[in-house]
Amino acid sequence: MGANVQGQTNGKLKIGMYWASSCGGCDISLLEIGPRILELIQIADVVLWPCVADFKYRDVADYPDGYMDVCFYNGGIRSSEQEEIARLLRQKCKTLIGYGACAVGGGIPALANFKSRAEIYDVVYHQNPTIDNRERVEPEPLHEVPQGELELPEFYPAVLRLKDVVPVDYEIPGCPPQADRVWESIQAVVSGAVPSRNAAVRVGCFDKTVCDECSREKKLVKIKAFRRHHQFRPEPDWCLLEQGILCMGPATRSGCGALCLKADVACEGCYGPPANAEDQGTCMVGALGALLDAPTEDRAREMVAEIADPTGTFYRFSLSSSFMKLAK
Amino acid sequence: MTETVATVQTPQMTPAVWEPRIIGFLCYWCSYTGADSAGTARMKYPANVDIIKVMCSGRIDPELIATAFASGADGVMVLGCHIGDCHYISGNHKTMVRMPLMRRILEDLGVEPERFRHEWVSAAEGEKFSKLVTEITEQVRELGPLNWPQLMRERGVGHGTDLRPWGE
Amino acid sequence: MSQDAPRTQPSGNGGGEEPRIGVFICHCGGNISDVVDVKRVAEEISRIPGVVISTTHMFACSDPGQAMIEQKIKELNLNRVIVAACSPSLHELTFRRTLARAGLNQYLYEHTNIREQDSWVVNDKELATQKATRLIRAAVARVPHLAPLQKRVIPIHPSVLVIGGGIAGLTAASCLASRGIAVTLIESSPFLGGRMSRLAGLFPTGKQARDLLRPVMDAVINNPKVTIHTNAEMIQSTGFIGNFRTTVRLLPRGVEATVANVQAAIDACPEQTEDDFNFALTKRKAIYFPYDGCYPSHPAIDWKSCTKCGKCVEAVGAKGINLAEEPREIEIQSGVILIAVGLDLYQPRLGEYGFGQFREVISLAQLNRILDPKGPTGGKLVVNGRQVRSIGFMHCVGSMQQKGVHPPGPDGRMNDYCSRVCCTATLHAETELKTRYPNLQIYDFHEDIRTYGRWHEDYYSQASEQGVAFVRFNPLRPPQVERDPREEMPLLVRTIDRLTFGEELEVPLDVLVLATGLVARDMARLVDLFRCSVGPDRFLLEVHPKLRPVELAVFGLFLAGSVQGPMDTVESTAGAAAASAKAATLISQGSIELDPFIARIAEEVCSGCRICLTVCPYDAITRDDAKKVAVINEAVCTGCGTCVATCPCNAITQFGFTDDEVKSEILALLARVPAAATA
Repeated sequence: MGANVQGQTNGKLKIGMYWASSCGGCDISLLEIGPRILELIQIADVVLWPCVADFKYRDVADYPDGYMDVCFYNGGIRSSEQEEIARLLRQKCKTLIGYGACAVGGGIPALANFKSRAEIYDVVYHQNPTIDNRERVEPEPLHEVPQGELELPEFYPAVLRLKDVVPVDYEIPGCPPQADRVWESIQAVVSGAVPSRNAAVRVGCFDKTVCDECSREKKLVKIKAFRRHHQFRPEPDWCLLEQGILCMGPATRSGCGALCLKADVACEGCYGPPANAEDQGTCMVGALGALLDAPTEDRAREMVAEIADPTGTFYRFSLSSSFMKLAK
Repeated sequence: MTETVATVQTPQMTPAVWEPRIIGFLCYWCSYTGADSAGTARMKYPANVDIIKVMCSGRIDPELIATAFASGADGVMVLGCHIGDCHYISGNHKTMVRMPLMRRILEDLGVEPERFRHEWVSAAEGEKFSKLVTEITEQVRELGPLNWPQLMRERGVGHGTDLRPWGE
Repeated sequence: MSQDAPRTQPSGNGGGEEPRIGVFICHCGGNISDVVDVKRVAEEISRIPGVVISTTHMFACSDPGQAMIEQKIKELNLNRVIVAACSPSLHELTFRRTLARAGLNQYLYEHTNIREQDSWVVNDKELATQKATRLIRAAVARVPHLAPLQKRVIPIHPSVLVIGGGIAGLTAASCLASRGIAVTLIESSPFLGGRMSRLAGLFPTGKQARDLLRPVMDAVINNPKVTIHTNAEMIQSTGFIGNFRTTVRLLPRGVEATVANVQAAIDACPEQTEDDFNFALTKRKAIYFPYDGCYPSHPAIDWKSCTKCGKCVEAVGAKGINLAEEPREIEIQSGVILIAVGLDLYQPRLGEYGFGQFREVISLAQLNRILDPKGPTGGKLVVNGRQVRSIGFMHCVGSMQQKGVHPPGPDGRMNDYCSRVCCTATLHAETELKTRYPNLQIYDFHEDIRTYGRWHEDYYSQASEQGVAFVRFNPLRPPQVERDPREEMPLLVRTIDRLTFGEELEVPLDVLVLATGLVARDMARLVDLFRCSVGPDRFLLEVHPKLRPVELAVFGLFLAGSVQGPMDTVESTAGAAAASAKAATLISQGSIELDPFIARIAEEVCSGCRICLTVCPYDAITRDDAKKVAVINEAVCTGCGTCVATCPCNAITQFGFTDDEVKSEILALLARVPAAATA
């Protein structure tokens, strides 16, 4: 995996993968394609992959514009560095792909959007039993020291998606994207079968929801009470939502193969909203209106109050593409 | 062209001329007709609630409420038939569950509860309708503009390519 | 916006043309223009791109107003029209028709309410004017999304199923058959005629009930277009307007029409049971017919009391009676269904005014059987074998019930309504009695007298003249009925009389007649099968008492007679005639046109989650197991839109109320986008 910096060509594609506010899972998921990676490196050279090898930003900046054929960008954008690199990569690649739930919809980091920067700093740097910060030091973008000025990336008030800062050509949803879908996406993009220019075309997923891939049976009964995984052992082969677990399957794009459901765990919605929708939460609220066994208004309110954290549950992976974008 | 836009009140105007902008989703058979009956009786109420008609409150997708708030509404009102009186038998039962759930989400985001009203209004309850409009208008006026798009811009969101507010 | 899977909503701008919008703002003769500056509004709206004409009219709904709109549509080649005027409930249809006359699809129309919801309710003229502008802007933003929808055309099977063989069902069947329409009439009991066959003299004409009933029955029986099934039990009904399929189980009659020596069979039968026809005043055999001249004229076996001993079979020489006859099921196809199952009489509680406690307390229904010259006493006033010197009538038994005064029924509900016909029926009985027995003492205990119908008041006047004593009680303190301690006469009624300003009365009586109210039958099965709306009084509820008085909300279902509420024979026949006229109109059209505002599922994104299946109040949604998607029956869908909001992946849209249409209104009202007329 050499970096062909000085414009040496060998007929292979140049690909890159960058991680922003990321857990590293997406980087690992690229390896999940298994032996197919051997096929990949036959046709492509990796010219950027901070998780795996040592590339400097200087190297990337020195690449000619459009040097990379395909660049994957995973993780949410929370700092000015991450935005800067996003812009840089946009310049230096032909095809920019938002990879994974964070880049596509904000992902888990975007749940921090419920709190303001001040509130976050307060918890992280002050109200913390293991922190001793009597001088109330907080990160600042610019700090004077005797030797000169120190720069730190700016901590943004909210987690953004990749397409909030640069035009994106494709998006691959999932936390992480499932291996077969990743491989299909690479093939689709590289072959030119799915053209896109700044259109953020979503690939690596199907047009239905997880319910289509889930083999559990429906009995067409209403939910009598909400329960969570730790409270009981769900019946196998029967729809978890009907059993009272808030499964996001009906409001989540398909493509993952309903892997979690096969392990008796409710879908958490990591593939983002369905093909025809933008906001997972309102999708679920609409559906739950029909599913609760609540003959009176009082019972309806009671059942709604039983849900521990509807906002977090519905928008666990997609808060940044929800209708909210920011807390107050 | 800009002249035309400027004659319509928007939250971006100076505070002295700000008027609460409230969207009301009304079901045709009960609440919309109830609003009509307030008109037939010449009841007077503030002009701030603009009514969007649907056939049944069951049609009111929470997405529409979200669109309203995210697009600049300072308040949203959802009205339907009383439970048991739905023209389509049980449409309002679904509304009955959706609205409290939507309220929880809106409150988690910091939308004050007075900005979102959900009530049952029958075709004969013109007076109730007119009181509701007056109430929500005055309460929202006191709270001030919600200014959702403004907030987004102030927080630095919106310096990229996908800048349009959600829903467009 | 990310371009994921293509949006499945029907796109507006039929034909992909540029919108050419005409906006017509009505002065409404000052009702709008006195408050809203309509000319200014028109001028502002005219500046929006896509608006070709923006003008006002004094009365848009008038003939000249409509003609002007029609002319402008043609002259300016408009492809979208907005009228801003009164509420759409008044004139939306009017203007849709105007578009149709002008050759423009009637659904490319938007009606904006600036009267009931603006000029009539906003005090400040400036604010009202701004509101009108805003609302019309929203319409301008919406109309490019409208699609040229077409009404649904559902073919109608040219036949009617009439459920119920009483006077209402018979009248309806007769009316329909006389128009050449095929009718299937099903009756749950073994005989036609219903409650009317148990009456003798009717008010207000005094004619005999069965004399009036017979010609109606004959018209039905003799018409080859009518198929009659008695002993019929409703099992299931599926389908939709134009094509209903109803499964009916026909219980065996046990007796064939050809049977001879009927009386011998009846005499031979050892089983006796209460005769329902005479309201249990008499008994009858397990093989029976209710009265001479009934239809069918041959008897039926009452399987509940028949022990299958076979004595009747012996008596007729084993010909014509088959105790082993099996029930069979038939399926009836019909274009429409007419429900005429009638009502029940209130059954007083044990001890209510002494009912069931004292033998001398009887119901008005029982009295009418006694008065019938063909009845159990030959028309003589004999109760429990005794002559009657003094008789009382108690109004409002089981009607006008009040909380705290009357206990609720088993389902917790009160009959708080007036049963309408009992006052007249009571007074009619009183005048009959006084005419036949001038010396009979009659007391009438009432809280009110409601002789509401034509010529009904005459019975009250006559009863007064004939010397009936009227006593008015306070409904909160109804009279008490006891055994007479002095034993002059068996009963004593204690009450406080409002007509004599509160005198306490003790009235000795031989007989007390309770004018029992009318209640809805137990129709749970019917209500469930046909998704009927039911009123708080448990009678079936029509769509609208004035505009659609004999129709149910489900298309193709009609109501006839007292299934809708307490009413007399006059009103029942009128209702039946109205329902049959409506049904006949549908049938004669051969097909029905329904509004196109229905829901549709986009198969390519439907994931088969089935959440929508249970949401539809009309069961219009089913599942295609092969394709694993949901399917909406377009003939049944009523356009409520509940499934649209339910679908968790936005796979369902509602024509006329798509998300794009509604969102465009929201955005324009909030001035988030300039109200430019682009799709």
